Order: sequence, then C-alpha cells, then structure tokens
Amino acid sequence: MKYKESKNFFPYPENPQRGDYVERVVDPRQAYYKVKPVNAEDEIPESASEFQK
Amino acid sequence: MAQAAKIQESIEDLEKKQEWWWIAEKKRSKRLDYLRKAVWKKGAIGGNYAPGVKVDLEIPVLFTQMYNWWKFDPPMLRRAKANAHILDNMTIFITDHAQLVGYVGTTPNTLLWRIDGASMVNEELYNEPGVMPEPEQASLKKVADLNAAWAGQTAVDKVARILDPEDAVKFLSGAIGWGAPTSAYGYSGKDYEFLFAQRNGFLDIIEKIDEAIEKAEDRTMGAPGPDILPLYERLQNWDAMKMILEASIRYANRYARLARIIAENYETDPTRKEELIRLAETCEHVPAHAPRSLQESLQYDHFVQVLARIEALEGAWPARPDYYHWPMYHKDVNVEKNITREEALDLVGEFMIRAYEVGGFGPRWAREGLQGITGTWVWTLGGVNKDGTDACNDLTVAFLQAARMVRVANPTFAFRWHPKVADDVMREVFECIRHGLGYPSIRNDPVLIQNAMHWHGHPLEEARTWVHQACMSPCPTTKHGVQPMRMASATANCAKMVEYALHNGYDFVVQMQMGPKTGDAAKFKDFEEFFAAWVKQMEWLTNTLVRTVNLGRYKDPEFFGRPFLSATYERAVESGLDAVSPVGERGNCWITGFTWVENADSLAAVKKLVFDDKKYTMAELLDALRTNWEGREDMRLDFVKAPKWGNDDDYVDDIMLRCLREVARHSREIQCPCGNTWPLLPENVSGNIHYSSIVGALPNGRRLGDALYDGGISPGPGLDKKGPTAVLKSCGKIDHVGDGRAFLLNQRLSPTQLAGEKGYQLWKAYIKTWADLGLDHVQFNMVSDETLRAAQRDPEKYQEVIVRVAGYSAHFVDISRKTQDNIIQRTIQGI
Amino acid sequence: MKCTECSFEAPVAKFRYLYNARIDASIALRQCPQCQAWLAVDELSGSVKQKVGPGEAPWGKSAGIEGLAEDAR
Repeated sequence: MKYKESKNFFPYPENPQRGDYVERVVDPRQAYYKVKPVNAEDEIPESASEFQK
Repeated sequence: MAQAAKIQESIEDLEKKQEWWWIAEKKRSKRLDYLRKAVWKKGAIGGNYAPGVKVDLEIPVLFTQMYNWWKFDPPMLRRAKANAHILDNMTIFITDHAQLVGYVGTTPNTLLWRIDGASMVNEELYNEPGVMPEPEQASLKKVADLNAAWAGQTAVDKVARILDPEDAVKFLSGAIGWGAPTSAYGYSGKDYEFLFAQRNGFLDIIEKIDEAIEKAEDRTMGAPGPDILPLYERLQNWDAMKMILEASIRYANRYARLARIIAENYETDPTRKEELIRLAETCEHVPAHAPRSLQESLQYDHFVQVLARIEALEGAWPARPDYYHWPMYHKDVNVEKNITREEALDLVGEFMIRAYEVGGFGPRWAREGLQGITGTWVWTLGGVNKDGTDACNDLTVAFLQAARMVRVANPTFAFRWHPKVADDVMREVFECIRHGLGYPSIRNDPVLIQNAMHWHGHPLEEARTWVHQACMSPCPTTKHGVQPMRMASATANCAKMVEYALHNGYDFVVQMQMGPKTGDAAKFKDFEEFFAAWVKQMEWLTNTLVRTVNLGRYKDPEFFGRPFLSATYERAVESGLDAVSPVGERGNCWITGFTWVENADSLAAVKKLVFDDKKYTMAELLDALRTNWEGREDMRLDFVKAPKWGNDDDYVDDIMLRCLREVARHSREIQCPCGNTWPLLPENVSGNIHYSSIVGALPNGRRLGDALYDGGISPGPGLDKKGPTAVLKSCGKIDHVGDGRAFLLNQRLSPTQLAGEKGYQLWKAYIKTWADLGLDHVQFNMVSDETLRAAQRDPEKYQEVIVRVAGYSAHFVDISRKTQDNIIQRTIQGI
Repeated sequence: MKCTECSFEAPVAKFRYLYNARIDASIALRQCPQCQAWLAVDELSGSVKQKVGPGEAPWGKSAGIEGLAEDAR
C-alpha cells in the first residue's frame, strides 16, 4: 500500500506529494504517536504500524 | 506484590517508615505518575545501558548525508545545513498525557549518537552489546558504514593530529585525565539574559542577524581594506545561524502539526483534545516568539536545550529555572490566574521529567565516572537578583515540591543559600534532603559571588546571575560571561601527583614514564624535597591537561562549529563569530580535581612515619606500595592511622593548605584561550570508582582496587573520627575564595536524628556553622544503611531511592556494587 | 588461606584482591580463583571470615547514633 492510500497519511497543504505518516506505538513503558515526513507515492514498509483511527 | 501492599498503606504509615519514594507515588498527579513511569532510563546501570535502550541511527544517517553533500562549505554553514536536515526529517513523537515536547532522539528509548565527535567513541558504540536497534545485523552494518565514513574526520581525530604526540599519548592513556577536547562532548552555558531576560524569540534574533548582515554587506561592497576581510567569513556564519533558527522554528511547528492531527483524528477524550490544541498553540508560538505563559516559557527553554543537544551532546545542563521562568509563573498563577498552582506543579514536574529522559551514548569511562546518569544536570535555584536582593520566589518552592514528587536523579538541584533566605524556603530545601533526594546541595552565595569576581574578574552584577556550569563551578549567564564550551577533559586524576612524586614520574599501573623525573624518593633527605617533587608533578599534570583543552577550544570553530549555540548567544549574533571563539568571552575555566584529598593524606603520612617519627624508611614504603601492601597489613594500618584530613588536625590540614596554595599559584601562571586563569575545583562525580583500578597503592593506606575518597574535600570514608564539627573546621581553614574555584563536601546524616521539627532545627544550626566558617558547598545523603543494604538485596523494590554520589545524584540501584558500598561506608554524622 | 565455599587453598595473594570494606579496617573483599566467590578476608590473620553476597556486609559504620538518636516526634 502507498502512503497516500493510508488513513494515517496527512499531506502537506503546500506540497501534497509529501506529508506526515502517523504511527501509534505502545512500548513497555509508554504510549505515543510518532510521525515522520514521507513521499505520498512511496510504499509503506512492512515494519510500519498501520493502525486504525 | 510489593507495590500492591504499598498502595494499601497510608501516607502517615509510610512517613513513619521514611519510605518517601512510595509517598511520592501516592501524592503526585495521575499525569505525573504516568510520565514518571514512562521514562526510559538512559543512565547506565553499573556501566551498562538498561535493556531496551537503543542508540538512534536515524539522526547520524541524516546528518552524514547532508554533511557530506555540502563538503565545500565552511564548518558553521556545513553543520547548520546538516542539522537543519535532521530537524526537518527526523521522526518526532508526542507521549500520551504530555504537555511539553522535544527529545534528542526519534523514539523515547533512543540514545543520541553524536557521530562527529570522536572515532574512538564510534568504535566503542559498534562493540557495545544490546544497544543496536532491531534488526541487529542491519544496524551493525549501518554503524560500520558510518564509522568508516567518519574515521579520521571527527573533531577529536583532528585535534589529536595536531596535538603534541607526547601530550596525546599521555592524555589518551586514561591515567591522568578524563574527557574529550571538543564541543561534541562538552557543555555550554546558555545566554539566558539574551533569550529570557531580554525576551528574544528566534524571529527577534533573526531580525538582529539580518541587520548585522546588512551592515556587513554594506561594508564588503564598499571601500576595500584589511578591516573588511574578516567579514566574509562572518557573513557565512550569520547565514548559518539564521538557517538553523529557521529550521528550529519549523521543527517546533512539526510538533504543533502532530498535536493538531492527533486531536482532530485520533483523540476521543475532550480534556486531552484541549490539551493537545494548547500544546499546538504553544509550539506555534515558541521558539519563534518570546513566551507568554508558563507552559510556553518552559517549552521554549526545553526546545533550546534539545536543539543545543542535537547539535552537540552536552554533558551538563546549566540552568536557573526558578529565576528565568518566574515572570511567566507569576503572571499565570498569581496575577492572571490562568492556571492553578497544582496545574503549575504538573508543568514543573513534567519539565524535570523531560530533562531526566535526555541521554546520549557515552564511552565506558564516562559511564563509569557518571554512574546512573548521562550527564550532570545541576539546576541552580535561589540566590540573589542582580541588585543583591533575595531571588527566591514561589517557583523556587514549586521546583522543590515537584522534585519530591517526581524523584528523578537528574536534574538535581543546587541551592544558592544566602543570609536572607526565608525560613519557609529553607524548610522546603530541608524536606528534599530529608526525603532522601540527596539534593539540593547548598552553595554559599556570597562566597561564590566573591570567588567568581576574584578568579575571573566577573563584575558584581554579572557574578550574581551565576548558574552551575556543571556540578559545581559558577558561571554567569551574560553576554561576556557565559561559557560556550567546558570540556570535561580539564579533569585531573590528582592522586597521580603524589604517586608520581613517589615513583620518579613512573606509572606502575599503565607501565610507562608519565610525569617528569623528580628524583628517587628513597634518596629524599627530608619532607621538603618530597613536597618539591609533588609540586613539579602537579605542575606537569595540570599543564598537560590544560594544553590539550586549550587547543581543543581554540580549534573548535574549525573542527566542529556551533551554529545553533551561536545563534542564541548575544555576542555571537553581534560579532558573527562562532560562540566558541574565545573572542568576546571573559573566560571561566577551571580544572576539576578528582581524587584530591589523597594527596594531603599521603603526604602527611609520609611526613609523620618516614621523616618525623622515622618508623619506616622511604625504601620500605616504596616496596610496600609497589607490592600493593601484600603481607604488610600492620604496616598499612600504621599509615592509615597517621593524621588524616577532616579531623581539625593542623598537622595534615596545613599540608592540605600548602597543596591548594601551590595549585592556586600555578593557576595564575597558566591561561585559558581568553587569557584568564585556571583554578582548581576538587570534586569527584564517581571518578573515585572509575580510577580505583588506575591509581596505585598510596601512603594513605589504600591499595590498587580500593575506591578512592568520595569527593572534593570530603574526608576519606570512615577517616573523619572527630565528628561533623571537626570536618567543618578542617574545611573552614581553606579560603573558599582564594584557594580554588569551589570545594565539594559530602556529608551523610541520620534520617532518624533529623526527623521532625527538632531535626530541622539541628540541620539549620549545622548550616549556620557551615556558613560562618565560609565554606562554599555541602551536600547530604540522608538514608540509612538498612535501606541501602535492602536495596542491594531487592533492587526492584527500591527503584526510586536516590543517593548523592558526588556532584550529582543517582538512583542507588543504578550504580555499581562498588559505588554502592563506597556510599554505605561514608560516615553518618550525628549533628 | 582456604576458601569457605570450595575449599580451594593457596597463599592469600593468589585470591584476587577486589577492594577494601573500609580503609581503616583489615577486612577486604577477595575473589576465589577457583569458584569466583566473593570472600570477606581478614588481611591481618589471612583468613576468610565469610562469603559476601549482595546486601551483606561485615562492615558499614555510622557515627554510632543509628537507633540511639532521640525520637523527635
């Protein structure tokens, strides 16, 4: 699946070809949301946590 | 099971048992409880990182990519572009329930890796077990590739190439000193006057930079001459500063955007949604603009610290939070009543937790010397205003109260005591100590202000702004006073001074000629000859370390470069020079003296037993030392029983003063790159443990392997036999203004004796004696042997027990068995 | 000296010196080269006093006021 197809991808208004991909992580000590800039057309790696809103 | 049982016990019962750590858990808010337990401890436990803690590889990859791309740029610009690339592209996160954001890594369990600091650290990282992110093999390959790209290119590599080879070898032996002569592992003061007192946000600073650029460009396009030639480089430096400030604003806005995304798309709790919107508004305002609220003030400060650390690892955290955040606290809590005091406490507690979670990868010697922590985050509270009036306020109290709730080992506090501190503030200080935090340490403000003026010529008003540059040494927060680079490598293993005087400069542990040949000690005719040899070794050792550090500092703008730090320094923004350039700084250097008291105790023992009483010959002593006292226990005990520091005994105290005054004399003969002095500051962190296998047997009675004394001018554990007043009297003979920079004193007090109101009055009387004698520092452990032994048996049940190690506090369960035993050995003084 | 755990016997110097319990007492920690046990050794008599585990100590001194301080409450 490409990032742009994910509900957790939020394109930049000034450049919709890039955007933030949000992941939810629950580690042994805490829960958090993390984000990094990605290209809309790139494939989401298997290791990413595609989570439901 | 233990936790379940504790939940049932009342606060009253727990107070009776003095189990303060369980009380803290009951008293703190749900938010603080969650955030406290959420922290991934980055301090090494007995030297090893905790399971699950991993080194961050995203940042070094991003940095290297861009740094290599711009290889023709000058250092500041190149680094600004590389760091901007990090800030624009690194993963960021927001922890549940957090109101403050910003971290030096891409996930909460990561350690920052500053890849451009030192190749030897990079190699250590490759071999460090357990810190590679999964999948491990892929990470190892990445690290190997990065190390190959940086081999020979790091800041320390570059310094080592131009350092005198003999200095380099002796420094790298690890026998005489500590640290790395580069900004990459140093620590910088922050120009809080520029950022907070003058209320400059990053956009305000960019405006000043633009004005400076415009003026400079007018000149470079004008009449040619030698005076305009330096401006070309400065124009590039200003560009670098502006670039990194703009990137920093974008970085903060990334958090704002994430907070809004979470609020609008994921969060269902209405209260948390509101908090996230407020968090977004905070990050949209700071650091671009000066803060308008307490949350913005704390967030601004935290962003500055995180951004400075992403640029360079930073081993300390100079700060004066109750002073610089007071205006916004007062506005929010007292004047406009925007938040309650409890809400303010939550923010203050979280501010401490955000600092506590910060950590970078350190080499093993650093982890052994700073067990349980990743750097000495000593925050300065109290003191006086620039006009000399009392600066303590309700935020001072809030920090002290928050400290008892969150019970972090780092940040640790140091309280600037002065005669006009109100009783209610002193009580709060005492409560922290009584709760076994090991902090605040108590600093004598009038003495240290004088000291700062005496050694470095800081004017009175500037001296009054002082913060702890690291564990102990004061430094102003002003335009010409703030210190951009304090490298820990001006840290001397002082016990080697007497060791080399005994062995003609030869080091039997590292097996090489280290110090100058000062003569065969067996042929010394009297104590004065021996002392003269000591003086020569002292001069040689301090010269070697200071030469290295001076060179590292002088070359740092070329070998490293600090665009972000420079952008936050008024003098750098004005001049266009790297903040680390000595130009414009008054100078605030000092030599940290680890393992100091062993000198006086050893010299005194030799004087007594060899030269005065003639019970042993020097040849017999040297033989015993070279065989580690093996089979000579009765002889060793004779040397232990010789006069010892800390007993108000002039025989040894006079020798201590002679030693200090020789160093003080020499401190004025050696100069820092700013042309200022290098006074001595005896203290240890946990260097007394790290050096226990590096310092040989000594005439004070120690063997190779024994922990050295625990800190500064503290008497050897168990060797202070005449009670706490005698300790204070010995320490009071030192001139705490003229004899050195500052002098660390550990004292251990009984939690039983200091219970209740009577305990407070006893402690207050002790502090009065301490102040009357003119001492500059004292810090306390107040935890029983019973608790500490129990913690050794069942560390899981005692995770939040804190002890004062030396210039810092640590969780007892995080330090090695040897360090634990050393702390237990410290005499509990009945006062 | 004889190890109390595995009965290994050798001169004291063969037991690896670790560190002292207190500088002013003749009890030190040494390690048996055979079974690696940590032992508290009396350096004057050259004999093992006991095995030492975490939280155990034949030493640990205060100024003598623990338990004797007046209850201030």
